Amino acid sequence: MSSLGLPLQVLVLWGCSSLVQLVVLVLLFKEGSFRKLSLFTAYTALNICQAGFLLFIYKHYGFGPRTTEMAWFSQTITLVAQGFAATEILRVVLRPYQGIWGLAWRLLIFTATVVIILEAKITYPSWSWAKWFDLNVSYNWTFAIAMLACLLLIRYYSIPVPKAYKIILIGFCFCSCADLVINEGFLPIFYLPGNENLWQSATLLSFIVVLLLWAVALWKPLPAENPRLSLPSNDAYQRLSPEINDRLRLLNEKLQRLWKREARSN
Amino acid sequence: MNPSLLLFAGSLAAVLIFLVWLLRDPRNTATRAKDPLAAEELERRHVTYFPQVLRALAAEDIAYLASRCAGDLSSSVRKERRKIVLAYLAFLRNDFLKLWQMANVIAKMSQKVGAAQEIERFRLILVFYARYELIRFKFQFGFTPVPELGSLSDFVGSLALRLDIAMKELSERAALTSSQA
Repeated sequence: MSSLGLPLQVLVLWGCSSLVQLVVLVLLFKEGSFRKLSLFTAYTALNICQAGFLLFIYKHYGFGPRTTEMAWFSQTITLVAQGFAATEILRVVLRPYQGIWGLAWRLLIFTATVVIILEAKITYPSWSWAKWFDLNVSYNWTFAIAMLACLLLIRYYSIPVPKAYKIILIGFCFCSCADLVINEGFLPIFYLPGNENLWQSATLLSFIVVLLLWAVALWKPLPAENPRLSLPSNDAYQRLSPEINDRLRLLNEKLQRLWKREARSN
Repeated sequence: MNPSLLLFAGSLAAVLIFLVWLLRDPRNTATRAKDPLAAEELERRHVTYFPQVLRALAAEDIAYLASRCAGDLSSSVRKERRKIVLAYLAFLRNDFLKLWQMANVIAKMSQKVGAAQEIERFRLILVFYARYELIRFKFQFGFTPVPELGSLSDFVGSLALRLDIAMKELSERAALTSSQA
């Protein structure tokens, strides 16, 4: 055990995580990427501040219900910053595609609302007892599903994403998914005797992996932004899109008739 | 090592692989589709040989063969016909996908995208794939009269041509606007 009351293994991982966070922040400033990704820079800086804050409260006040509550409160701030930072990356990636960006933020709001309502319904009888931990898990569900929905949208429209942004987006999504795997899938295992430090180690390790990915992504300056792609007017979409859909629908109906005829002939 | 921990590490690795797959470069998957020569060649084959395909699939031919030749020949011809229909269905799918990709390109370039239109197109592709797979499955185990396929081919062909013209017109207008700017 260290002087902070944390196991040495956890403390080492915590130190590593803070170190890589510093590297990411330095890279953001060194390569000038902070101008493009101001919210992401703020999120990284907040994470470092949170580590310092936790170190301070654990050292001066030790472990207890009050310090735990303060720690979770600081986590809330970084999670909100995480949401903004991820949205910023999506906005940068989708900026050249105005229409798709419009669709993406509507999708973000829709999926986030649906997941929040579902989460609230699941925890309904015990709302007043819902603890920080449950709120953290609920947030991760919301964030992961909203991010996955946006990544699927990017895939659906075959939008090319520069490698650096791709790695950052994968990192964000992996971060939340890993938290969910740890907290929803494997929590009972981490509570088994002899596995006490495993939960903290697993959480920190997955975050270190994400930070290393981000450091790799930010090693080189971020690519120049693509020019905005747009049609001279919105008429083309308004005119062609319903027409294409009608044609696709007709094609489907013809396939359906073929299917029915085939069924009859057998 | 603890099997639970192995399972845990495996789950995280699976998540990471899925995310990388999700954001893999679309250009890698679309290389074949983007190859103009290959696309042109496919289209040319599809359009040029369809009347011959139809003729080869006429039911009278099978009846004639059955009355004049041994059963083996008749059944092998049936099998060949089935293969032809399956290949033809694959062409139809390509045409549908081409159309759908064009619609996506238009959406990508638009300043405002209608959610209802996009959801409708997403639904259509799901329905198309479901039907396509069902029909393909049926063809693999039976036989179907083909005139329906002919009208389907004409329909898809004319639509692709119209969209090509529309896309050309759009790109010309875009080029004109950018040169004016």
